[in-house]
Amino acid sequence: MFSVIIYGRNDQHGYNLHKRAAISFNALAEVMSDPDDEILFVDYNTPDDHPTFPEAIHDTLTDKAKRHMRILRVRPEQHAHLKSKTHLVALESQSRNVALRRSNPKNRWILYTNTDMLLVPRNEGESLSDILGALPDGFYQIPRFEIPEMLWEAAFDRKDAAGNLTKLRDWSVRFHLNQVVHNFMPMKYDALGDFQAVLREDMFAIHGFDESMILGWHCDSNLAARLALYRGRVDTLMDKAFGYHCDHTRVAAANNKGRKTTMNSHDKYIWNVSSPYIPEQADDWGWPEAKVEEVRLDRDTSYERFTAGLGKAMEPASVPFTSTSVEWHLFDDLTYDLLHTLPFVCDQVLTYPKETAILVAGCRADFVQRFAVAWRGMGFTGPVLVPQELGLAVSNAAIESGRFADQLKRAELFLFEFGLATQQIDDPVRVGREEAPADRRQLAIVERLFRRAASTEVDTRPKGRQTPRRCIGVNVIYNKYWPIFTDYVGANINPFCSQVLAGLPLAEPPATMREKVLLKFRKKAG
Amino acid sequence: MAKQGFLKSALAGVGLWRKAIAADFPGIDDPDPERQGQALFRRGRFRMRAGDLEAAVADFDRAIELLPDFADAVSSRAECLDMQGKSDAARPDYEHARRLWAAHRTGAPDRSYLWRQQGRLSFEVESYELALERIKTGALPHAAVGNALLALGRPAEALRAYERALKIKEKDSALLAMRGEALSLLGRYRQAVASFTVSLRHNHKAPETLSGRAVAHAAMGNIGKANADWRRQLALLPERQAAARACVLLRLADWAAALPELERAIEAHPDDPYWRLYRLTALRRLGRLGDAAAAAADGPWPAPLFALLAGKTNAEMVLAAATTEGRRIEALFQLERYKDVVETAPPALIEYAAARNELSRR
Repeated sequence: MFSVIIYGRNDQHGYNLHKRAAISFNALAEVMSDPDDEILFVDYNTPDDHPTFPEAIHDTLTDKAKRHMRILRVRPEQHAHLKSKTHLVALESQSRNVALRRSNPKNRWILYTNTDMLLVPRNEGESLSDILGALPDGFYQIPRFEIPEMLWEAAFDRKDAAGNLTKLRDWSVRFHLNQVVHNFMPMKYDALGDFQAVLREDMFAIHGFDESMILGWHCDSNLAARLALYRGRVDTLMDKAFGYHCDHTRVAAANNKGRKTTMNSHDKYIWNVSSPYIPEQADDWGWPEAKVEEVRLDRDTSYERFTAGLGKAMEPASVPFTSTSVEWHLFDDLTYDLLHTLPFVCDQVLTYPKETAILVAGCRADFVQRFAVAWRGMGFTGPVLVPQELGLAVSNAAIESGRFADQLKRAELFLFEFGLATQQIDDPVRVGREEAPADRRQLAIVERLFRRAASTEVDTRPKGRQTPRRCIGVNVIYNKYWPIFTDYVGANINPFCSQVLAGLPLAEPPATMREKVLLKFRKKAG
Repeated sequence: MAKQGFLKSALAGVGLWRKAIAADFPGIDDPDPERQGQALFRRGRFRMRAGDLEAAVADFDRAIELLPDFADAVSSRAECLDMQGKSDAARPDYEHARRLWAAHRTGAPDRSYLWRQQGRLSFEVESYELALERIKTGALPHAAVGNALLALGRPAEALRAYERALKIKEKDSALLAMRGEALSLLGRYRQAVASFTVSLRHNHKAPETLSGRAVAHAAMGNIGKANADWRRQLALLPERQAAARACVLLRLADWAAALPELERAIEAHPDDPYWRLYRLTALRRLGRLGDAAAAAADGPWPAPLFALLAGKTNAEMVLAAATTEGRRIEALFQLERYKDVVETAPPALIEYAAARNELSRR
């Protein structure tokens, strides 16, 4: 019957976002009764190495919310062409249009709201699907009522959606919450964007939200203006449902700078609208050609993929624990526990698109081999690019061997492993082992490839790619590769136990001592 | 999201309120039910805003007595009752208002959106007029008021509203197209074509503007130019807009091409009898038998037309059943009295263009 369209990203937008959003997702699902109903959450521009916002809070969502939710992930790379034009990191019009394009065509209605709203049918026995199903064609809005921050934070149980709606029915009377704030036409009400029910057919006819509105605010008013022209009227659904907003102004959100807030032009996008249509975007609104990943919370979850991948790549431990050491005299020992490390490596890649091409340059053949197995097991369809310069004896359907220079231009993610080529899976770890000549040769190759990849990252990106590629380093903590890796990559400080660092290549890697000497010599030479 | 930018507008409301205290309501004693009903509605809204809900309900009651299909008054009364805590009494009014609005038959899907607006739009006109007290540099309220007036068949007033909007937003293609529609409805076809043409110069991919110009061309007897515009319009209409595509093809009297579009329109709108009627018409024009007998022949209009196509009634009976001008045109068209259609029908009707094209082929 209807598709709810909301958007956001895995960040901190205003006060206690996680609780507000969980309450809202669960409440929205609670008033759905048609199997075709869906909550389309556009996860816009969350960093690639983060899960989407709903994934991050999935444990606080009800099974019903998970069943109805479809997450459409818009990657930073897909936002890159707009980055220089706006101060915002999440764009409303683009998000809502991406969802509209991909909404269930069986649904007659689209409902635009936000991740802090609870919709309460006035008749307790009615669902929102029932209400919308019985409505004549039109454009419907309801007024928004505010819930004081203390109330929703202190008294709502995130997973008790029905109980929360009951509480609201009670509070609305006890605390006089229901105050309708009228507004001029075409807005009709204040804060109108928290409930705009539109025919899907109408949204396609008017070319969706206006995608030139990239400075924030008034997208809802612009939509109201255009739909008011298109339909002639803005109808109310106040007799059927009330909408409550979890107030969150204790901490200002990123798009709220008080009187200094940058906004889309009020005059241009509301008072001077003269047509419902936007001919300039008639063919490309909602990015019809863009490949937008869909993530589910009720199937094929990240956890399922993670365990499937690792389950294929390694056996469970046969001992209660293993050990390693950070004692200073072991600084030069490059042995590490592969089976302990592999889960932390997989953790670094899981949130990337399934078709990602990853370049893996490692010293240990068994690392590359097991990683390739886990990669496919986690559902990745992209290749594992292994430079032939490494001379590794590895074989897996996921692995493509080739020249490093060629692979550098295809790779979307880098993984460099600095271990001892001679280490076997059962060898003891960090016991003072020295490098063998074969180890040194292999380490030198991997180090050279790493330096080249990191220092030429900008120039070697795949054609059309604008965002930097992430580098993952394995066995680069508390050994000689720690400074080398972090000279080139902006990585956080991680626990030694994970063995893994990751980050984006630094814009200007510091010169090595040899390079500094050469530079000085050249300058002197004129 | 909250509208921080409305501070100015909110403060303006104080001024409006002061002004409204002294307001009178022209037509409040007018013997014409429409004028009196509208005035009562306006006074009811004023009283509602002032918090005098009892008096507002009394005004809405009287307006509804005068104009039983006045959905705006029914809806406003519902809101007053709801605010008074009489939600059970309000509920049927809310529903009734929606049914009244939905009962208005809308314009053809290939024409400008403004012809598809339903109802008297009294609330909207009043609200935009209030906005105009404050918003001096916005074209939207003028355009919206113009659209409402045009949809209500008041093209001269609509034209004035569009001219005011065009002073604010000069050469705006959408406003020029609306102005063209108003001129066309006034019978000033040559000026209408000029306005549409300038609009199309700014936005040549505007199917509804092409439709408006085609109608004006056809009204002046330039069926060739009209057909050219309709073909351009057809090329711009996406596949999913089957009903709109069907209408354009019907205007072109391209019966064979219209058939598949009509079938898709029936699928999308199974409750609208006109798509089935037009499908039977197309089949008949192509010399193929349709299943007119399957359609109910004894219900409300357009059932008599189905009866005619099924051979169950005759011309006299159909014309007698056609109680409005629009229905008479539809009947004349089904009787293939194309000359009569062209001489008497408004040029915007599908039947008018189709009849012109049929005549041009003879």
